[in-house]
Amino acid sequence: MCGIVGYAGHRNALPILLDSLKRLEYRGYDSAGVAIVGSGLQVEKDKGFIANLEAHLPAMTGTTGFAHTRWATHGPPSKVNAHPHVDCTGKIALAHNGIIENYASLREKLEARGHKFVSQTDTESLVHLIESYYEGDLEEATRRALNDAHGSYAIMVIHADEPGKVVGARNESPLVVGVGADENFLASDVPALLRYTDRVLYVMDKEMVVITPKGVTIHDLDGKLVSREPQRITWSLEDAEKGGFDHFMLKEIHEAPKAIHETLLGRLANLELDGFHANGITTVKLVACGTSYHAALLGKYVFEEIARIPASAELASEYRYSQSPSERPLVILLSQSGETADTLGAAREARRRGCRTLAITNVLGSSLAREVDQTIYTRAGIEIGVAATKTFVAQLVALYLIALKMGQDRGTLGYDELDRLKDELRSLPRAAQYVLNKAEEIRALARKYGDVRDIFYIGRHTNYPVALEGALKLKEISYIHAEAYAAGELKHGPLALVTSATPVIAVAVQGPTYDKMRSNMGEVAARGAPILAIGTEGDKELPKFVDDVFWVPDIPWILSPVPVSVALQLFAYEVARMHDCPIDKPRNLAKSVTVE
Amino acid sequence: MKAVILAAGEGARMGPFTASVPKVMIPVGNRPLLESVVQALVENGIRDLILVVGYRRERIQSHFQDGKAFHARIVYVTQPKQLGTAHAVSEARPHLDGSFLVLNGSNLIDGRFVEDLLAADEKPAVLITQSDRPRAYGVVTVEGKNLVAITEKPTEVISNLINTGAYVLDERIFEEINQLAKAGKHDLPSAVSALAQRTPVLALRTEGTWVDALYPWDLLRLNATALKGADEVRAGTIEPSVTIRGRVSIGDGCVIRSGAYLQGPLSLGPGCEIGPNAVLLPSTSLGKNVRIGAHTSVANSILMDDVILGPASVVQDGVLGSGVVARAGLLAASGSGDVQIDGEWHAVPQVGALIGEDVEIGNGVSVAPGTVINERARVESGARLRGLIPSGSVVL
Repeated sequence: MCGIVGYAGHRNALPILLDSLKRLEYRGYDSAGVAIVGSGLQVEKDKGFIANLEAHLPAMTGTTGFAHTRWATHGPPSKVNAHPHVDCTGKIALAHNGIIENYASLREKLEARGHKFVSQTDTESLVHLIESYYEGDLEEATRRALNDAHGSYAIMVIHADEPGKVVGARNESPLVVGVGADENFLASDVPALLRYTDRVLYVMDKEMVVITPKGVTIHDLDGKLVSREPQRITWSLEDAEKGGFDHFMLKEIHEAPKAIHETLLGRLANLELDGFHANGITTVKLVACGTSYHAALLGKYVFEEIARIPASAELASEYRYSQSPSERPLVILLSQSGETADTLGAAREARRRGCRTLAITNVLGSSLAREVDQTIYTRAGIEIGVAATKTFVAQLVALYLIALKMGQDRGTLGYDELDRLKDELRSLPRAAQYVLNKAEEIRALARKYGDVRDIFYIGRHTNYPVALEGALKLKEISYIHAEAYAAGELKHGPLALVTSATPVIAVAVQGPTYDKMRSNMGEVAARGAPILAIGTEGDKELPKFVDDVFWVPDIPWILSPVPVSVALQLFAYEVARMHDCPIDKPRNLAKSVTVE
Repeated sequence: MKAVILAAGEGARMGPFTASVPKVMIPVGNRPLLESVVQALVENGIRDLILVVGYRRERIQSHFQDGKAFHARIVYVTQPKQLGTAHAVSEARPHLDGSFLVLNGSNLIDGRFVEDLLAADEKPAVLITQSDRPRAYGVVTVEGKNLVAITEKPTEVISNLINTGAYVLDERIFEEINQLAKAGKHDLPSAVSALAQRTPVLALRTEGTWVDALYPWDLLRLNATALKGADEVRAGTIEPSVTIRGRVSIGDGCVIRSGAYLQGPLSLGPGCEIGPNAVLLPSTSLGKNVRIGAHTSVANSILMDDVILGPASVVQDGVLGSGVVARAGLLAASGSGDVQIDGEWHAVPQVGALIGEDVEIGNGVSVAPGTVINERARVESGARLRGLIPSGSVVL
């Protein structure tokens, strides 16, 4: 998982590259580097944040180049492993996002032919391979090299003898072209380009692109010309600014009501879900990673409850390696970015198995949307904070809508029941807002419960995935060891870990599992653990047997995961803030994981 | 030139409608009041805006973000305690140099209003207008072109010219603000009056729009004004045999069922569902995702986001906060009523129901004119309401 930006134009490349690269810092920030062709090839790199590199940069002049921010997968973060990588002649520079799977054998062959490797990266083999094919045409040499390489990549290459040209290529890692006037751009993601142009071209898998100040040409790996029109991007960079909030994460948590609204708008009245229908579906499998997996798991409960359809959730990284059963479920793939490598792989596998595929993603034109039969978009807007917040909530809303649609199409929901559920969905932006209005209260609870080494989250049924997600948020941004359990599982082992030093956050809202949750909280209380419960407003019993309660509004229990999730996101945020953690850029994590 | 917009206040006289949003975020004509101020400034090329925020500032920040969607550059300054308007302006001081504008974020204004203020040509000035109820405002006394003093809520009649709360000021105002602060006074009109003693302060008349809302029923007047100038959008799905007359704006994803009768000016936010044979009459705004049941009639009202109004209901001259849910047969007609707001009683000649956010109302409830139902109250079926219903209460 890395970010790359490239430029060929009439202006000095360095400031444009650094500015654009900062918009991609969410993709990784172990190390950063820049390569520019002016009078010869100049390459600078360093470990750490982009600002770190910038502070030590000498003057670099030239109007062609690229820059890279890295998140280490092969070889630890270090200056030598940072991109760009350079060939033996010092004329070719290359940056890469992805993994070259056969790098070891390539490296062996190239070293046997006398190429000198300096880093431990898979990437370096590519630049030497290009060098070995180079006969005065960088594009041709890159094409031949890529035909030898296996794996995922988005690359950019420049050559000292071919100023004014950046060669890019893509396979399973994102790459977009920004089309300007007498200048053109390449980037891993659209936000990097928005300051300079709103016209973009998407490069597809196994395609190469050459940008010069005057033009953009795309070829496939066989050298056949591809013609493609630029698209206009309607969202703008403002989405990427903090607007008075201390962190993107906090800003984005506060955007939950808007994200819910946008996801519902125009879809409720006639249950019009981007053309999706549930005819002929007998079972559903939901596949995703990380936070999206928690949404998937909730989807399982919601589909079973509302649409009465058998459903299961599976991790994308596991799904691909399980044996294919004979049934053909509808496979729903969830990924905020639509670029998650494991989920993309699962989508391909599902299609190979002959399943109908449906994606839920937040990014128009993402790789996942192009990989599946149908896509339903969450319309949460761009999310910058590495910890997913508003997009998770929007995923939940999309799943409720799909459940309603399935219930309607399969005839498992009556007309009046459907109408009631739709009205209840309309209340969700309000439920989220209600929690946000009590942010101060959550801050106080974070102070009380957040200064610990270990913390447990428990929940049942629909609020089990919510507990998992609450714990994940806390892990991600506060680095506190947080574990979530289905509350009934406590007594089968984890209870041994519960002491007076391990607070327990119990999602104990009203619903079919409330009484069971009460006895589970009793088990925990007996071990002396402090309990912070999330309860339904109006519950007079709950405060009697827990230490604190955070109240969420009294809405139907099946929808309670929405306000509870917002509360747990705010809780994680406040704990991380109390500990002065780098909330928007937690260590070792990147926004969308485009490696497997 | 930069502009300071005062948006920190709660607006307690707005009753339940500021329970979870600051006054500047109350929607009229389907957009927050503050948006009209931002737009009027941007139309006149004033794009560097400093928003002084306080009460529920997150609501303002999530809506306006860094301002680019409104073609402005916005920075936020937090005024943690709303001591007064002068104090609010001093909080913005680090962002200011030279002359700057100060405007109130909770008035409905237009581009002409700002244009009249800019006529001061960077000299200190206050923008004034005629009012038919001057005693509710700061009344200005003028000599020639210059301001003599601003008298807050005078007990005797001085003139019908009032302060709109819009100024051109510069560094010199901070000396006056600091002096007054020592005496425990934190309001900007006093500081401007003091400045007028030392140096000429222009008193400029405006012919532009300036509508102020003190109480919830004033919002209906603002809403009608805003709808007159609103852009007309037509989106969504309109089923056969729907009648649409006048200026009617229909947002994305709306569904208008057969037989509905829509008489403009009206504004329907995105995602609204209007049931069969429903009637919407001027001047009414519906927020996002509002659902109006079959045979329901709504006239001259504001229904904020996510309101659900069941079938066969009547709402006239009403303000319904976000998330109000009324099942079937709500009767909330207009009439003269005594309204209790912020501890005071007001006789209002024409008013309907004033219902706070997230209130739930059962079937067949009737609500007398001027009734205030505070936020999150629950009203059981068959109830007859008048007076003031406290927040969170249950009415059987």
